[in-house]
Amino acid sequence: MTGERDQHRNAGRRHLDERSLRERVTANPRPAILWIAGLLALLALELGTIAGVTLEAGSWIGTRTTGLWERGGLSRVALLAVALVGLVGASGRLSAIDRFRVTAGAGVDAEGDSNAAVDADTSESNESRVPNTPRAVDTAVIAALVGTVVVLAIWVGAAGLVRTVGQGTLTWIADLPTLTAREVISNEGYQTPDGTWHGTFLGLSPAVAWALRVVVIYAYALLWVGWVFVGYRWFRTHYRRVEWTPRDDVVDRLRRHRWAQFGMVVVFVFLVMALFAPVLGPTTAEADLYGPYSHTFEYYDQGSGSVEELTVGEANLETRSVGYEAENVGPMSYDEYDRFHPFGTMPDGSDLFTFLVAGARISLVIGLLSVGLSGALATVFALISAYYRGLADLVLVVTGDTVMGVPRLLLLILLTVLLADTWLGGLYDGGILLAVVLAVTGWPYLWRSFRGPALQIAEAEWIDAARGFGQSTTVIMRTHMLPYLVGYLLIYCSMVLGGVILAVAGLSFLGLGITAPTPEWGRAVNLGQDYIATTSWHISLIPGLMITLVVTGFNALGDGVRDAIDPKADDSSSDNASNARGGGV
Amino acid sequence: MSERAARVEQPDERGDPLVVVDELRSYYESERLLGGKPVKAVDGVSFEIRRGETLGIVGESGCGKTTLGRTLVRLEEATDGTVRYDGTDVTTLSGTELKRWRKNAQLVFQDPTASLNERQTVGAVIREPLEAHSWGDPHSRRERVYDLLELVGLAPEHYYRYPHQFSGGQKQRIGIARALALEPDFLVLDEPVSALDVSVQAKILNLLSDLQAELDLTYLLIAHDLSVVRHVCDRVGVMYLGKLMELGPSEELFSDPANPYTQSLLSAIPKPDPSAPFQRLPLRGTPPSPRDPPSGCVFSTRCPLKIRPDIEGNHDLSRAQWEAIDRFREVLRERDLADVTFVERLRERLGLSTRFTPIPTVAEELLGDVSFPDSVEAALSRAVDRAAEGEVSAARAELADALGGVCEREQPVRHDVGEGHSSRCHRHLEAYADADDVLEGEDGVGGVLEGL
Ligand code: SF4
Repeated sequence: MTGERDQHRNAGRRHLDERSLRERVTANPRPAILWIAGLLALLALELGTIAGVTLEAGSWIGTRTTGLWERGGLSRVALLAVALVGLVGASGRLSAIDRFRVTAGAGVDAEGDSNAAVDADTSESNESRVPNTPRAVDTAVIAALVGTVVVLAIWVGAAGLVRTVGQGTLTWIADLPTLTAREVISNEGYQTPDGTWHGTFLGLSPAVAWALRVVVIYAYALLWVGWVFVGYRWFRTHYRRVEWTPRDDVVDRLRRHRWAQFGMVVVFVFLVMALFAPVLGPTTAEADLYGPYSHTFEYYDQGSGSVEELTVGEANLETRSVGYEAENVGPMSYDEYDRFHPFGTMPDGSDLFTFLVAGARISLVIGLLSVGLSGALATVFALISAYYRGLADLVLVVTGDTVMGVPRLLLLILLTVLLADTWLGGLYDGGILLAVVLAVTGWPYLWRSFRGPALQIAEAEWIDAARGFGQSTTVIMRTHMLPYLVGYLLIYCSMVLGGVILAVAGLSFLGLGITAPTPEWGRAVNLGQDYIATTSWHISLIPGLMITLVVTGFNALGDGVRDAIDPKADDSSSDNASNARGGGV
Repeated sequence: MSERAARVEQPDERGDPLVVVDELRSYYESERLLGGKPVKAVDGVSFEIRRGETLGIVGESGCGKTTLGRTLVRLEEATDGTVRYDGTDVTTLSGTELKRWRKNAQLVFQDPTASLNERQTVGAVIREPLEAHSWGDPHSRRERVYDLLELVGLAPEHYYRYPHQFSGGQKQRIGIARALALEPDFLVLDEPVSALDVSVQAKILNLLSDLQAELDLTYLLIAHDLSVVRHVCDRVGVMYLGKLMELGPSEELFSDPANPYTQSLLSAIPKPDPSAPFQRLPLRGTPPSPRDPPSGCVFSTRCPLKIRPDIEGNHDLSRAQWEAIDRFREVLRERDLADVTFVERLRERLGLSTRFTPIPTVAEELLGDVSFPDSVEAALSRAVDRAAEGEVSAARAELADALGGVCEREQPVRHDVGEGHSSRCHRHLEAYADADDVLEGEDGVGGVLEGL
């Protein structure tokens, strides 16, 4: 009798949840296969880019040459990884399994597959290897680690691929047309006197061809986001063991929040700009900004009646915008070499739009780096403050107040100038230095915001419970305090990110930080400020507006996340719960 | 099942003390940076808990019972005294020794909602102690959690739910399962049902007593609900302002309470048995702050049986007279402990109006209608003068000298008043056993403490 009951019980338990992710997927493979197929299709559209990146990365690792980071396609992949990590963070504090699933599910790249399988398994094996590792480790550090691992996998994989597949094959694949390549929908060409365009996509005018490419790129990016979200929904309905988590409500509330959606749209536009910078502009930053005299283009010379070749630098001398009719190329217009300028040209004749998309990438890298650094510092310090209180808290308060006591601008200027000539100042045209300086001067502000909530959480009774069974301090901080801080982390970091973009722009405007010719939005505002009241108003105004918009967007997103996390904002969540109430009592 | 029954029946295990608490003190340091007095939450408490029994601790809120429970499981540091668990003094354990010991003693919290991390699934909550102590492998941990869920009346399919999806009673079951995960012998139950619906309380209490029988557990049950304690506990301790006033077998303590405080507490609940032999005593006022406990007996500010001093000239004051004096002294006491700012003191000195009524007015109001013997009158007017000058502490000392009795001067020691039954009160001394003097005028006076 008892044996029978036990058997029955064990069968029930087995059925319950002991199946690993793989088993659950095997039991119902359709959604997973469909989703991965879609993922591969999306990847295939950019196969050439991926091969190119692989090739570049592979040979870089092979030859150990440096300097790839700045302009290579690799940075795009790295950014993708960073963005994904951010995305993962944004989906709240996912348990280890959930998080890995999203990371893998978001399709970091082809390797995502194998990663998914491995990582899903670690949730089980973790427990045996590291007994104290909690399931829900959700530190930014861990997220960053995941990102790093992914990037490393790509790099090492790339080197291996180059060796095995061979450079030739890879080069051939890399030369395959991809959906978003500039060559596929080319906007560079010349117009012969009969009015026809040569060299452009389908003979369209450069303006139309360029607009088409922008639309295609954004559509492609939108598809990615949609597909990742579909993956999340499918995972929730088909594979997740938990039928409801508190985070589901957060996601649902975020979906109903208009202001947050505005923020998301702005942030999405900005992120795509940063990711696809090299293909979004009517020309490239290499040709237009970094090496105008080593790049040439063709144009139709009216005088001689023939197609001529000219360096970009020479042409730019004739297309400057310096404040009067005769020398100005405004927004949405062609210059005398039939080059289209969506936002007009700069005082040196280069394309403003190209400048801005390249600048978006720089702003984002600096922003993420500095916010990531200061956020990590602030979180760790807030946890220490709240858990230990007393002396530890006092020391941190004094340190923080000291840093905050010095005027920040002064500190920023001082540190940037002092460190400008060190090796740090040389990285990324001074961008890395700027990020570090901003982080070092900025953490006390974040820490101040986290300390209050952290102190409140440290009072929670479940922390006493954990102390009562002898849980270690670090695990208590990670599993019992940090999850409640992640919301604040997201809110304040998204707001601070806007601030950092503004600060970098401000410093560049003052001529500090980012050096020429690196495109940075603040530099554009600076360069155009003499012409603000003239026909060349666009040089300052457009970047200024974009800075405002992006900062507002990040703030809106932060507001939205706060409203979504704050349960008092919406109590309907309890309705969901009552459906799932179990038996007993 | 049969094994467990056999374990419970082993007689030699029963009866000997598992936890021995000796002169335990637990003070909170003042929040103020300078000059604050510590809060004496637990102040010299001694008792023992026998293997397999349930010891109840009752008292009004703020009496230190929760701090006592938390100190026993080392969530609070003891200021002084010892707690011996199975012979080892646990107040000095640290590091891995402490962690290993923690497996033996666990706490069940009052508010199940607040004590569960709502971002963890139920499975993760119950599994966490096992992980913290590297108990078994992941598979056996999972099995153990299923067993625990069934043990406390939940089901394995609750493993992947969140606490938010459960009712209060179910959450408390989760809390109990977590406390039981490491197979402790000793559980401190800190008002385990007071946050729950009345309809659920009995179920949780039954669960706890079933678990006790099944797993041979020893309980310290903290409660302010006397009926809960009466039904569940083998022995009961009554706490007031950090002191253990009375300790005795449950039935005896309820039917024949020895200490005036216990009597007052029991008087407050509707009596299930009207023929109970003890006198109903009203419990007046609220407990004083544990930061400034009264001198002598901690209950002396509210005790209806307080021993009155002999007044010079052998006058016996009436009840009305004593009550008027007590009320006036209470005002002085409050005034003395109130946070008076410097400016307010200054205003008072200068005779300007403050947020307090001036002492002479208060005295007039409380004492004016009553006439006193000369010596008392003189002491009172001296005190009023002192207080009017702003020297409230001096005024209090004056009155304590003239009118305070043994209850205010000396701390009562523990008296054995029965088999395993003790009480702290001067009334147990031969000289003060007769309480008729203070009870004069009460309905149905007489024989209050007879048989003590
Ligand atoms: S010692 Fe005095 S004040 Fe204390 S309980 Fe006994 S009679 Fe009351």
